[in-house]
Amino acid sequence: MALFRLHLPLLDEIKAKGVRRALTDKADDVVTRVTAGLNIREVRGVLRDDAPARPNPRLKPHAEGFWLHMKPTYYHNLVDGLYPTFRLGWLSTFFFAFEILTGVFLMFYYTPSPLVAYEDMLNLLSNVPFGRLMRDLHKLGAEVMVAVVALHMLRTFVTGSYKKPRQFTWATGVILLGVTVVLSFSGYLLPWDQLSLWAVTIGASMFEAIPPEVVGRAVNLIVRGAPEIGAGGLLRFYLLHIIGLPLVGILALGVHYYKVILHGHSLPPEAEEVGVDTAKRVPMDRRTYFMPQILTRELFYVAGLTAILVGAAAFFYHAPLEPHADTLVTPLHTTAPWYFLWVQGMLKLGDKVLWGLIVPGVMTGLLLVLPYIEVGPSRRYADRRVGLSIGALSVAVLAVLSYMGTPWYAVQTSADQEAIAELVPQTHPGPLRLAPWDDLVVGTYEAGQWQNAPNATLQELLRIFQEGVERVESPERTSPSGVIVIEDWQNGLRKITLRVLWTETATGRPGENSQSVYLHRDSGYGQGE
Amino acid sequence: MKWRIVLGLLAVVVITGVGAYVAISEEARMAAFTEAYHARQIETGGALFEARCRTCHGPQGTGIEGVAPAINSPELFSGQRLQAIGFSGTMQDYLKGVISAGRPVPSAGTNYPQRMPAWGESYGGPLRDDQIDALVAFIMNWQGEAGPAATAPASEAVGTDIHVALPPGDAPAGAALADSLGCTGCHMLSTVGPGWMAQGQEPGIGSRAASRLEQADYTGEATSPEEYLVEAILQPQAYLVAGYESVPMPGNYGQQLTAQQLADLVAYLLSLH
Repeated sequence: MALFRLHLPLLDEIKAKGVRRALTDKADDVVTRVTAGLNIREVRGVLRDDAPARPNPRLKPHAEGFWLHMKPTYYHNLVDGLYPTFRLGWLSTFFFAFEILTGVFLMFYYTPSPLVAYEDMLNLLSNVPFGRLMRDLHKLGAEVMVAVVALHMLRTFVTGSYKKPRQFTWATGVILLGVTVVLSFSGYLLPWDQLSLWAVTIGASMFEAIPPEVVGRAVNLIVRGAPEIGAGGLLRFYLLHIIGLPLVGILALGVHYYKVILHGHSLPPEAEEVGVDTAKRVPMDRRTYFMPQILTRELFYVAGLTAILVGAAAFFYHAPLEPHADTLVTPLHTTAPWYFLWVQGMLKLGDKVLWGLIVPGVMTGLLLVLPYIEVGPSRRYADRRVGLSIGALSVAVLAVLSYMGTPWYAVQTSADQEAIAELVPQTHPGPLRLAPWDDLVVGTYEAGQWQNAPNATLQELLRIFQEGVERVESPERTSPSGVIVIEDWQNGLRKITLRVLWTETATGRPGENSQSVYLHRDSGYGQGE
Repeated sequence: MKWRIVLGLLAVVVITGVGAYVAISEEARMAAFTEAYHARQIETGGALFEARCRTCHGPQGTGIEGVAPAINSPELFSGQRLQAIGFSGTMQDYLKGVISAGRPVPSAGTNYPQRMPAWGESYGGPLRDDQIDALVAFIMNWQGEAGPAATAPASEAVGTDIHVALPPGDAPAGAALADSLGCTGCHMLSTVGPGWMAQGQEPGIGSRAASRLEQADYTGEATSPEEYLVEAILQPQAYLVAGYESVPMPGNYGQQLTAQQLADLVAYLLSLH
């Protein structure tokens, strides 16, 4: 007797049924296992939209498979259309997966250390096939995801879907919104460029304001890893970004999804009696089955969205990369990411503790407990005039606050600095660096005489400069003038000096602010970076 | 549903197409980025050189006699200097090493008694590695255009006698000389430009020269503003302005300048009030 015997059942079946028959049966078997219940004929039926057999085999994957147990077997056909969901929840999940996939790619080329992080970015852009595409996709996806998640919550608010019995679903959703925003924000720091450092410095400085001082200092140390962001802070944000927040996100997402299955998708407010929730009692004739309708639609969405994102990232959108982070050089205008501009706007209103901590904290808290304090039974728009008005007002206030967060509102800088920064900003290339190099003819040019410049590029640059220089005129400073000096400095390198001159009214003496930039023929700005 | 399947498949084709396009153009894109980044390193290096190096090595890196040698010199780029010291690495390595670690001991037997400070962060200096790399890129960009080493003046040097009779000077020529000689390498104030310009409450050097003569602590032999400036250029140690005692100005301009050049310089400086 042999110690063991190699037994291939397939061989027995071939013996019994012949090769062709045995192999098709085997294939059928494999497909049934992979789809958790559908054989080849049934999959074909799904794709052809044939009427299902009875009992409906298309329900089996929901009952027996892991992935589809998170999906309802059918939807009410009132929530099947674009309204009332606008697919925003689904889109949020799509982007969550999209970010994980692109993020894992990026992790292969990244080291969370200030010594090499920025170099890793350059390596990714200059030496890794598909490196730039993946980085652009990840960044683009992150920005869109924040918007999508926020809109999802707004929609849920507007249709009153947070009301009983979905209060807890809403609460997990608020947690997910927080996770999304902090995920996006923590990703800001990782490239270790100027944008990273200063955006995160603004954000983290909020923690320092927590009273009393002892606590603020301690929390600040915990967040930044040192009094200032450095190696420790970068590592913390990195771990938060790749482990901490995704973990919380996956847990909250699981609960969120489970609750959606449990309570069903809420119907449009006008479709139900007030105070009744019929989402789970869907009449036979109003069902849209997951298979095939929703399944094919979602596959179509995945393919279509990915195509749009890939197309956008390949041809139109490139994630910015500013110069290496430098704690000693503060860019003239630093702003928080767009979704935190409202906080930055509030900070301009006054006290850091009140406007930077208490008010945003209370706002977030209110959002979290909204369904437990706003318990009006009706979801209908007509019955919720006050609530909807407050919602609309809040959106308007956030928009105004966000505007106030931008440098255009209440930021005191001197006009001479602005005049120079308009041509050579520190945070993006700006008109001078984007100008055709060969048009920057060596010479000395007066901004006031911009019409006399030798070519259209220089005329335009000088005109912009002159506009900025004219704003220097004030009771303290009179007769401002601007000069641009262009010198050949090296092989392929020009030195361009921007000089703003004025007369101090008080002393009658000349004042000056000048800045030099060097421009190389091949520096190729304006390709997105 | 049919159109969903068709459009979905179409989208997959589009993704594949864009992916293929990116794959094909990726090599050229990466090369272009590498080139663009190198160019931006040169730009960054230019700004760093201006801020950190020009005071000793001159605005164009051609060196300042007695202060610091030329980096923008054919001797360096031809490899002679590396050969002389037996350095086996590349020019970039050499520059990176010297900039990072500085010259803790002045090179013996040269006219450069000063130490060079260490610039690299890892040696206690202020610059990060990527900034040192940018400086190296900037310096290497002089390769191929480094002019011949400083030559002796065309006609006879003026000497060190401050009472020497000078021909009539040409102020604009003097202004150009002040730049090309590298005077602004040291005589530079970040706010208003060259140190001999008027600034704040202080008038230009032309007026300052007149008032310096009157000062009680004046130790030189000049009797007129013109002579004061001549003395300051040819015999810088004759009188040191308070606050500048420790900054050595090379004392060899008498061997470098012709009488005409000196006259031009003085004419230029006297014109500043």
